[in-house]
Amino acid sequence: MEYNTLLQALKDKFGDSILSADDTADFFTLVVASDIIKQLISFLKEEQNFIFLTDLCGIHYPEQEKELGVIYHLHNLVENKRIRLKIFVTKANPQVDSIVPIFSGANWMERETFDFYGIDFVGHPNLKRILNVDFMDYHPMRKEYPLEDATRSDKDDRFFGR
Amino acid sequence: MKTINSEHHLDLTKEDEKVFSTLNLGPTHPATHGIFQNILTMNGETIVGAEQTIGYIHRAFEKIAERRPYYQITTLTDRLNYCSSPINNIGWHLAVEKLLGVETNKRIDYMRIIVMELARIADHLICNSVIGVDSGALTGFVYVFEEREKIYEIYEELCGARLTTNLGRVGGFDRDFTAVAIQKIRDLMKGLPKVLHEFEKLLMRNRIFMDRTINVGAISAERALNYGFTGPNLRAAGVDYDVRVQEPYSSYNDFDFVVPIGQNGDTYDRYCVRQTELWESIKLVNNALENLPEGKFNAEVPAFFMPPKEDVYSKMEPLISHFKMVMGEIDVPEKEIYEAVEGANGELGFYVVANGGRSPYRLHFRRPGFIYYQAFPEMITGSALSDAILTMSSMNVIAGELDA
Repeated sequence: MEYNTLLQALKDKFGDSILSADDTADFFTLVVASDIIKQLISFLKEEQNFIFLTDLCGIHYPEQEKELGVIYHLHNLVENKRIRLKIFVTKANPQVDSIVPIFSGANWMERETFDFYGIDFVGHPNLKRILNVDFMDYHPMRKEYPLEDATRSDKDDRFFGR
Repeated sequence: MKTINSEHHLDLTKEDEKVFSTLNLGPTHPATHGIFQNILTMNGETIVGAEQTIGYIHRAFEKIAERRPYYQITTLTDRLNYCSSPINNIGWHLAVEKLLGVETNKRIDYMRIIVMELARIADHLICNSVIGVDSGALTGFVYVFEEREKIYEIYEELCGARLTTNLGRVGGFDRDFTAVAIQKIRDLMKGLPKVLHEFEKLLMRNRIFMDRTINVGAISAERALNYGFTGPNLRAAGVDYDVRVQEPYSSYNDFDFVVPIGQNGDTYDRYCVRQTELWESIKLVNNALENLPEGKFNAEVPAFFMPPKEDVYSKMEPLISHFKMVMGEIDVPEKEIYEAVEGANGELGFYVVANGGRSPYRLHFRRPGFIYYQAFPEMITGSALSDAILTMSSMNVIAGELDA
């Protein structure tokens, strides 16, 4: 399978929703509109043999207009090709269609992404925090929550044995 | 799930009015080998539903990694699957090398294969012997632990540490294999087959063990793929996906080895697949050691290769460059990569988005255990509690990797 044929097939089907394509990265990378992601992944799985969801994770670019991103890594096990899909949503409307009906394995990956970035996966069967405590009221991997300054000196370290 | 309704008189003869009991298994339970909580809904001895709670040892590795220089992230990877940390370390170094575009020579590749396969042996030994323990056969566990100890002694010889190894460097190793290390590997490879044979005699065709494991916690190939299974668990279900073969890294394509697959995806198949992989790993270590080419043990990455320790302690320039490397005053190219290695329990992936600074902009670990453990409720529904324990130990879920 050549990337050009795949790209053409996708462009025929989804038209302008394929925002950009890049084959200079380690593998084929597509940026697509967030509203077609479920149909796109379903299409890739059913008709292009991308039967394996390798990874799903979030990312945050505070300087972009659509700040939050979700990155999908799919694997075509038949031809041993990988593909990376990216979508971006705004912080105010972080709704993305859940792909749990397509890949059961996306369940916890989406919960993790929700936990750390606050992406709202619409249609997820059980969207709640997974690694952090339930009463946490922010999404810690967003860039506005920096790690503690390692040089700060206002803390009383006696209690920590330091 | 039914709850008790106080207004109705209980009549357990009617199926639809059956009352299920809730059983809390974990978070710290001797049979779960780590901090896992499962809230089981039981119908007598049969499990009708399960919900897992994870995250008890979450340490925010991905967030911490966003401020750490690349070298300091190696120590985080140690603590993912701590039963085979060298694979994680080398996987991370391979990812950084891909980012920097570094080529390594054959000697480094073969040395890495030796270390990674030793780690795989250690990991599989634990997992398989623990399946024995959970089915009531403690002997094998105690027996193979001596071999695992020998592998840990080899780690000690290679890098000084045992569990959290921080082994190797970007572009290769910090030092060559010493004569003692090579001798220790040879000794291990000489003694291990005999031990493994005896271990197999204890369990492989043992009637009790077979009765306890066959058709226990089975999953079909289709479901396993849908759930994102990788590693021995996927291969036990009958899919021959192995990163070492599909996308050979570190010159794995120079070697001839078998990727064993199972049929039913049950506990027994997972055991057998791991057992066969142990033999293949022994073969790989022997082959790599025998054909170990001459050459340098580190690639030409002066910006990442630390100077020898004696120079660091006695000369000015090596001290400066060592300091700069450890503190991460080096820029990496702006790039994003995904690099996967075959960890002992599945595809361990590193997704790195580098924006040119001293630390990654975003680092995501694809942790195989995190992804396949979510199939656990589906695998144990309908089975007995004692079978669920066996299923869990045969899945090789490691708490450190699960919670990152």
